[in-house]
Amino acid sequence: MFKELDPILHSQLRLAVMSLLIAVKEAEFTYIREKTNATAGNLSVQVQKLKEVGYIDVAKQFKDNYPQTTCRITPKGIEAFEAYVQALQAYLGTSGKG
Amino acid sequence: MREEKQLTEKESLALITSMISKAKNSSIDSGIGPLFWGVLITICSLVTFAETKFNVTLGFDIWLISMIAVLPQIFFTWRAKKEKVFIPHDETMMNYVWGTFAICVFMLSFYTSQTHTSNGIALYMMVFGIPTFITGGIRNFKPMILGGLICWICSITSYYVSFPNGMLLMALSAVAAWLLPGIILRRRYLKMKNV
Repeated sequence: MFKELDPILHSQLRLAVMSLLIAVKEAEFTYIREKTNATAGNLSVQVQKLKEVGYIDVAKQFKDNYPQTTCRITPKGIEAFEAYVQALQAYLGTSGKG
Repeated sequence: MREEKQLTEKESLALITSMISKAKNSSIDSGIGPLFWGVLITICSLVTFAETKFNVTLGFDIWLISMIAVLPQIFFTWRAKKEKVFIPHDETMMNYVWGTFAICVFMLSFYTSQTHTSNGIALYMMVFGIPTFITGGIRNFKPMILGGLICWICSITSYYVSFPNGMLLMALSAVAAWLLPGIILRRRYLKMKNV
């Protein structure tokens, strides 16, 4: 029996954001936008969803008089990401054998 | 990138790999620090060698430049921190490793100036090798691993050579540990920036 893929992570932009954040300690919103090629509005909505489920922390502050949003993955987010990758590997491993 | 698109398992795995690779590529060091210190220590060592060997003098201690060079280094670090849009996982560790190195070099300068030990050069090269080898190991950057090893080999060798020739070993250490890795890093960084 396969584990169901986490619906929060099984979406293109949210998965891209989580994959980026797993590889760094923390990242600014502008960096994530540049690497994902997403629009600010769309990215903002997805970041908010990830924050609501506790997968990422979002900190807002001012840097040189400009607002700055910084994101960082939480332990819960790391756990969910690892479970998601394991589930993916299980799917692919079985489909590869078949 | 659109949020709505549902991915197949293969697409998900490909996306994860691609994003992690993008993050890794943007973590590439600009190479400015190793280049700067590599050039500086090489020049200081070669000038000291030439001064002693050919009995000429600049009229001031060339190594004072390395003390003054801490100021541009602070500026580079400050500017890099200001422009930084993400923090890599290993940044805190690297700051501690190179911070410890800076303190050790300062203490060693004090120690050698007080004791006038003839083994000062060997000790410097031993200390040069430590952060270089650690950085190369953590970042899986072979030129720095090799550079660290060369520093230690030069350190041992310097016990068996006379003073001005030891400065040639010091120059070799600086080239191997920082100058060459710095050039490689800089080329990689510029290539990545132009992609």
